Amino acid sequence: MADPDLDFTSGDAGASVTYPQQCSALRKNGFVVLKGRPCKIVEMSTSKTGKHGHAKVHLVGIDIFTNKKYEDICPSTHNMDVPNIKRNDFQLVDINEGFLSLMMDNGDVREDLRVPDGDLGKEIESKHGAGEDMMITVLSAMGEEAAVGIKAFTK
Amino acid sequence: MMAAVGAPEVISQLESAAKVLMAPPSMVSTEQRQHAEHIFLSFRKSKSPFGVCKHILETSKVDYVLFQAATAIMEAVVREWVLLEKNSIESLRTFLLTYVLQRPNLQKYVREQMLLAVAVIVKRGSLDKSINCKSIFHEVGQLISSGNPIVQTLACSILTALLSEFSSSNKTSNIGLSMEFHGSCKRVFQEDDLRQIFVLTMEVLQEFSRRENLNAQMSCVFQRYLALANQVLSWNFLPPNLGRHYIAMFEATQNVMLKPTETWREALLDHRVMDLFFTVHRKIREDSDMAQDSLQCLAQLASMHGPIFPDESAQVTYLAHLVEGLLTMINGIEIEDSEAVGISNIISNLITTFPRSILTALPSELFSSFINCLTILTCSFGRSAALEEVLDKDDMVYMEAYDKLLESWLTLVQEDEHFPRGCFIQPAVQVFNSYIQCHLAAPDGTRNLTANGVASHEEEEINELQEDDRELFSDQLASIGMLGRIAAEHCIPLLTSLLEDRVTRLHGQLQRHQQHLMASSDPESVDRKVLDDLYEDIHWLILVSGYLLADDPQGETPLIPTEVMEYSIKHSTEVDINTTLQILGSPGEKATSIPGCNRTDSVIRLLSAVLRTSEVESRATRASLTQLLSPQMGKDIVWFLRRWAKTYLLVDEKLYGQISMPLSTAFGADTEGAQWIVGYLLEKVINNLSVWSSEPELANDTVELLVTLVEKRERANIVVQCENWWSLAKQFASRSPPLHLLSSPIQRTLMKALVLGGFAHMDSDTKQQYWAEVLHPLQQRFLNLINQENFAQICQEEAVKQEIVATLEALCGIAEATQIDNVGSLFSFLMDFLSSCIGLMEVYQNSPETVNLIIEVFVEVAHKQICYLGETKSMKLYEVCLTLLQVYSKNNLGRKRLDVAAEEDQYQDLLLIMELLTNLLSKEFIDFSDTDEVFRGQEQSSGAGRTVSAADVVLFGVNIVLPLMSQDLLKFPSLCNQYYKLITFICEIFPEKIPQLPEELFKSLMFSLELGMTSMSSEISQLCLEALSPLAEQCAKTQEKDTPLFIATRHFLKLVFDMLVLQKHNTEMTVAAGEALYTLVCLHQAEYSELVETLLSSQRDAVIYQRLADAFNTLTASSTPPTMDRKQKVAFLKSLEEFVANVGGLLCVK
Repeated sequence: MADPDLDFTSGDAGASVTYPQQCSALRKNGFVVLKGRPCKIVEMSTSKTGKHGHAKVHLVGIDIFTNKKYEDICPSTHNMDVPNIKRNDFQLVDINEGFLSLMMDNGDVREDLRVPDGDLGKEIESKHGAGEDMMITVLSAMGEEAAVGIKAFTK
Repeated sequence: MMAAVGAPEVISQLESAAKVLMAPPSMVSTEQRQHAEHIFLSFRKSKSPFGVCKHILETSKVDYVLFQAATAIMEAVVREWVLLEKNSIESLRTFLLTYVLQRPNLQKYVREQMLLAVAVIVKRGSLDKSINCKSIFHEVGQLISSGNPIVQTLACSILTALLSEFSSSNKTSNIGLSMEFHGSCKRVFQEDDLRQIFVLTMEVLQEFSRRENLNAQMSCVFQRYLALANQVLSWNFLPPNLGRHYIAMFEATQNVMLKPTETWREALLDHRVMDLFFTVHRKIREDSDMAQDSLQCLAQLASMHGPIFPDESAQVTYLAHLVEGLLTMINGIEIEDSEAVGISNIISNLITTFPRSILTALPSELFSSFINCLTILTCSFGRSAALEEVLDKDDMVYMEAYDKLLESWLTLVQEDEHFPRGCFIQPAVQVFNSYIQCHLAAPDGTRNLTANGVASHEEEEINELQEDDRELFSDQLASIGMLGRIAAEHCIPLLTSLLEDRVTRLHGQLQRHQQHLMASSDPESVDRKVLDDLYEDIHWLILVSGYLLADDPQGETPLIPTEVMEYSIKHSTEVDINTTLQILGSPGEKATSIPGCNRTDSVIRLLSAVLRTSEVESRATRASLTQLLSPQMGKDIVWFLRRWAKTYLLVDEKLYGQISMPLSTAFGADTEGAQWIVGYLLEKVINNLSVWSSEPELANDTVELLVTLVEKRERANIVVQCENWWSLAKQFASRSPPLHLLSSPIQRTLMKALVLGGFAHMDSDTKQQYWAEVLHPLQQRFLNLINQENFAQICQEEAVKQEIVATLEALCGIAEATQIDNVGSLFSFLMDFLSSCIGLMEVYQNSPETVNLIIEVFVEVAHKQICYLGETKSMKLYEVCLTLLQVYSKNNLGRKRLDVAAEEDQYQDLLLIMELLTNLLSKEFIDFSDTDEVFRGQEQSSGAGRTVSAADVVLFGVNIVLPLMSQDLLKFPSLCNQYYKLITFICEIFPEKIPQLPEELFKSLMFSLELGMTSMSSEISQLCLEALSPLAEQCAKTQEKDTPLFIATRHFLKLVFDMLVLQKHNTEMTVAAGEALYTLVCLHQAEYSELVETLLSSQRDAVIYQRLADAFNTLTASSTPPTMDRKQKVAFLKSLEEFVANVGGLLCVK
């Protein structure tokens, strides 16, 4: 391929967990690293000091794994780290002592993810208890993973 | 007496209930509270409670119980009126009044409630000629003449209560009588009793204004009567023939202009009345509360108009007296802060109310004194408003007063042809100068100076929600701009020289900073104070210049203001064109250093001054001084240039009777000047986009300037000849820095501009090359990416996702650029993407942001293009939309939304889907497609055999949307509006599909319609009404009875009938409701007759029965038997209007 920008052939390995982006180019509902945590941007606003000041960006993010809230302010010319986010759907095979058994695409079963807290976890357990088949959406970023959603099972 | 027997028990029960209600919330439970409330409710409903109530009033010591007893009497009197003996009503009224008189220490709220009961009895009694309530005025008169302040206050309270009751406004109590009754009471009252109240009030005011010293108690009474006078003068007079006004009269009670009937002539045209208010004001002006009332009375008098004036000369005499009084008042005093708004209201009212012919008929000396006084006042309020800003006061009274006066100036000068020529020039110069002075820093101006000349300089945090000055002060700026045009001779050169001076200083200041930075290299060491002052000066100078030179062109073609054009023409003979062009073409040089610079066209010179500002800014960015610049000034510059370009660039001589030579030579079509300036603006845009990517507002203003340059073909033709336009296009297509740092909305607009530019005039090779530069790379990159073998594995990588997102954003931008003459090629280009986008829906189903963006592309394409598409192309779009919906539906099956309580954002996809469906439907309303014109030669092939229609797509979509739209979701305004827009469209366009809906869907659709009709905003209610006619017509067509739709329409008949006949509804809705009613009546004639019968049989009064029966007969007379025929329907609607005017007031109850 002629254009070096278009080289997407390299696989997962060695891919950086974050990449930099100018603050002003971030968007609401997008992702950013705040205080070292991968966050979804829930609020983004600009302000300036004095009428002739330069723009600053206020970011409010929710940690995508812990749901904790983080905030930051920085000049809009600054670069921020943006986490590489991935989502995958796996078939739920079983639940063992608070851990999900999920079937990967290659047929292997992984059992290292906890049943999430709260309503989602309860719903997974009750549906599983009722014998329903379902897919679990797993979110991964910066070396962490968690189940964040369920979907009806589709072949 | 039955009631009296249990009285002690009743009292103790009520008193303990009152204790519960009065207890702090923590002390009693909700059930206890509800129980207590219930006790009072049922007490008030008890039959003939008069004996008990009297007993309570005489014995109980609990205020709240007294209050409830008064309320119970009032409600029972109205309820049992016809059953009561007339003399027992009279004695009840006397009892209440005497009770209050004998107990001066009653709690205020108890007393007011008792008097309210009296007022209600008087009002209700005015309907019955048999009972004489007039005596109350006599009684009140006696109370007033008692001289006892407490009694006088009481008298005032009685009058105030009567006034509120008879005003038939929202202050009026609900007594269950028809609007017509309220209306006729009001009319009788305003012709007689109201005037009597006014006369009584004037007497009291007269009396007080004569007294030398008023003690606190007396001035309190004085204040009450002054407020009462204000209430009388703010009376919303009912016009002689009521018509449909009965509804309006319950609404407007604020900002009522005084329009008394003829009978008031004697009372109000007497000069002594006006003089009295001036005297009163002089006496009490230091008391800010009272001053507000007295000034408001004068403002009401200044708004007087209508039949009260027998002829023009009476109006002139009245106005002259008012103006004289006003001038004497203002000239003799130093205005208090609390007077500013009131005085400006008087002036603003008289300027808005009195016709120009009356103003010009004033003695000329008086008129010029008035204008002179207005000028001085405006300048002074402007200065005080500036002070308020410095002190950051919460209550900006001078700002409000200043706004009012500037608005009045605008009213005056917009019709200046009525006035002596040039009479506003000197005032305009003064007001303009003072505005400029207040906005410039010392020493030229007084900005940020406190009253004692100390500069205050605070840096406050400004968030993005705060409007830019150009919007925040748009009204002020529009007035000042207009005054600047009136005095163009003075104002344009003034702005030019001030701006040129500031630019020279800014240039020097930046140079000094640069040297300083090279020495110390610490940007923090720069003192920004001087710079910020210069920026703020330039900010205001550019804003005023922009408002002076051009109007805000919204939609229509903006014209060069006549005054500006005339000014330029007037001086064109003294002007040296070459020097003018030289000044224009050399923004990098100091204007005054150019030989002969004083013989240049001033209008062009002012633009040149802004270009010089722009040039200093651009050079500073090249010298890496961006950190020192003001993004605000950057915004001002591109805002000005955009406004200027829309009006002046390639000025079209055909639009003007007369054109200035300098302007047409410099900016006309095919001139070097125009070419040069387009090139300059383009360079500015490109520079800004690379330097200011981090300033979203500035970048947005900049890219909007670019759109302005290319959205008009004539301008675009010049733009595409510029080399840097091409390099901008290439740079953006290659997605290389710095353009890719821009935020996504800016990138989208940039794409739109680039596409628009592509439709400028170019030879075919050039054009081909252009598209190869702009659009093809986009397609190529996209295809290369998604066709990669391992796309499925890498698609979640952030770089890949970003590439996809950038492409989708670009597609939206391309769709936004659609115009009638480019839709052909843009549609084909976009269609290629749409099917690939559907594939992406699958790939990115876990990434809602991306899914939303994909749907948005479809929304934009449908929004911008469907109205131009011919049959085959529309079908293609329907097909691809249907596929999109299918995929969306499949992916959403069983999806659990994580956070149900979440905000609107969570439902973005739902909103977008509804928008898409609505856009697809809109073709049925707006269709510009002309197969021959737009898609010549492409349409004939295929087309037949395809079966996807808009109905299929939309109904499929509705199947997805309806089950998801819960009542909770309807609480989000955006979702609610979009939803109702969609379902109304569907009912109107595909009524035949509605009966075919699955039962559950059908039910929820009907439920939605009912809900929307009865408990949403009036806009939504109107939408739902519009949906009913097509549904009823559909039923009539199939002639099947007992289908679910048939049964549903029967239910709607009752709803619409009640709404139109029995409820107070918005007049705007009468047409929509009427059309719905008519078609429903056609369909269910028997049920309609039944409804009418039931209504008639509930009428006890024979006269009213007859009036109603007649009215119903006339209503349907022109359309018997009702058939679904347009002519009959129109006749029905007309009769309905009369029906509502005639008996609407009878049935509508308050």
